[in-house]
Amino acid sequence: MFLKVFLRRLFTFLPTILGIATFAFILGHATPGDPAYAALGIDLEGYSGVDQEEVERVRKELGLDKPILIQYVHWIWNALQGDFGRSYVNDYVVMDAVIEALPNTLYLLGLTMLTAIIIGVSIGMISAVFQGTAGDLIARLISIIGVSTPVFWFALILILIFAYNLDWFPIGGVVEEFGPKALVLPVASIALHPAALIARMTRSSMLEVLSHDMIRTATSKGLFRSRIFFVHALRNAINPVITVIGFQTGNLVGGAVAIEVIFTIRGMGELLITAIHDKDILVMQCAILVIGVSFAVINLIVDMIYILIDPRIRL
Amino acid sequence: MKSKIKYQNNANNFNFSSNETWSSFIKNLKLFFSKKLNIFSFSLVIFLIFIAIFAPFLSPHQYDMVNPSNALAPPSLEHLMGTDTTGRDIFSRALHGTTTSLSLALTTIIFGLITGVSLGAIAGYFVGIVDEIIMRIVDVFMSIPGVILALAMVAILGPEPIYLILALSIRRIIQFARVTRGVVLSIKELDYISACHALGMSHLRIIFIHVLPNCIGPIIVLSTVLIGNVILMESTLSFLGLGIQEPTPSWGTMIAKGNEFLTFAPWVSVAPGIFLFTTMIAFNLFGDGIRDHLDPKDKVTT
Repeated sequence: MFLKVFLRRLFTFLPTILGIATFAFILGHATPGDPAYAALGIDLEGYSGVDQEEVERVRKELGLDKPILIQYVHWIWNALQGDFGRSYVNDYVVMDAVIEALPNTLYLLGLTMLTAIIIGVSIGMISAVFQGTAGDLIARLISIIGVSTPVFWFALILILIFAYNLDWFPIGGVVEEFGPKALVLPVASIALHPAALIARMTRSSMLEVLSHDMIRTATSKGLFRSRIFFVHALRNAINPVITVIGFQTGNLVGGAVAIEVIFTIRGMGELLITAIHDKDILVMQCAILVIGVSFAVINLIVDMIYILIDPRIRL
Repeated sequence: MKSKIKYQNNANNFNFSSNETWSSFIKNLKLFFSKKLNIFSFSLVIFLIFIAIFAPFLSPHQYDMVNPSNALAPPSLEHLMGTDTTGRDIFSRALHGTTTSLSLALTTIIFGLITGVSLGAIAGYFVGIVDEIIMRIVDVFMSIPGVILALAMVAILGPEPIYLILALSIRRIIQFARVTRGVVLSIKELDYISACHALGMSHLRIIFIHVLPNCIGPIIVLSTVLIGNVILMESTLSFLGLGIQEPTPSWGTMIAKGNEFLTFAPWVSVAPGIFLFTTMIAFNLFGDGIRDHLDPKDKVTT
């Protein structure tokens, strides 16, 4: 049964991947500027001292003289083999840069998600257990403040307080340079938003579950309150939380871009921003494709976890 | 439980076509404003709109008046939030930033709404190949994180405000299309739509006059929820140097500028952030209030 659902989900997953690849390809061709000129290191098309033969030669070499459809098939084929060419602007193999950057981002986001889940679920549980008008207001305020704080601004405030004034943590976020402490501020800045949402979601679904008959049964059986909360209630309340996590990965990536730039972490976001500023088309294409695919894979995994945890959902 | 049913009725009655529903709309408003938090968020939103419109009259200095001899001056009575690297008054710039942010967000939402609702309505109404194609495209765009998508669009089109609106609204178009499609799919099976067909009405007339009014509730909810989202995304892009460009005042750019001087001139980053934060609070609270009011079961997900 699980396999069937998985295959069906995969059936919509593959066209999505192809769609992302197509988007990345179109992106490369829609970006202003002639790649052949870029490859030659010429900035503007109107530049007079261009050796036209040289340009034609490079154009042929890059396959830019072929029909666009053939270029597309060619690009997809190369992408499947992990070959995205050499960057015109900075002379390196594009895939190498991505392979270096991707783990940094995944590590950062994984740690962030873990932190957000731990903090969010705890706050949500606590506020659900101590429910009441004051608790309700506080939970709501925390989640609104968490959601409303711009990630990049929050990061700067954290740097100002904890790096400059208190000198507890380094300003950069590179682990090799500053040790694991370096990740505290970046993770804290990105985690605020999802933690707030998870807290709120946990609280509302806990409150709903706690009103079920089974909780009354458990209480009348004389079980410990802690056991009721953590085993009986939380297990049922966790589903909506997983949905939020699935929704949030996209927002996390967005927050991570700014955070990587602020803390000079060499991740996918930083790579993409630098590529956009440098008009480095090949890196841009590759970064968009890799980010899109990783995001789609994460969503697929979340969906699968969702089904495994809650057998009632069969998409 | 009782209140839930009441709310649901409200959501279904959200239709301005007759006097009776108009009075229920007024009742609706009264119910909405019976909560203190809603009054608070609504006043805050109105206040921000007021600032956005009257920024030129409210700001003590000209927002683009350069004064290098007074660069990075700390907050004082003369300059409430200090000055930036070129000696421009940050408070005045932040006030003008309200105009930039709100007008951009509003345009984005309106553009996204019109396009998205039309696409969604077409997809939901003409199920089949059209729907399939539109929804596949939607899936692709949904699987690219919002900021990354906007960054890619800006990279293609350049950071002109008009292109920025386009880049920001792609995601909104999709969100509006999904919600509208969902409602249209459920509405078009109802008997009164079959009656419309029997009366020989054109598809366009059925879609726009008889189907779409049912979507007003969810669309209002989505628009209010999304405004904060758009403002945040615009400021993120501006922060990354790919949104609003100098000298147009924008909170994101201003915060980015202060990044270098955080140690000795923290106000350059902190002050515009306070504006951004307040705006986000206002619109998120307001959006939440509207959602709780019209859509208590959280059908519209963002």
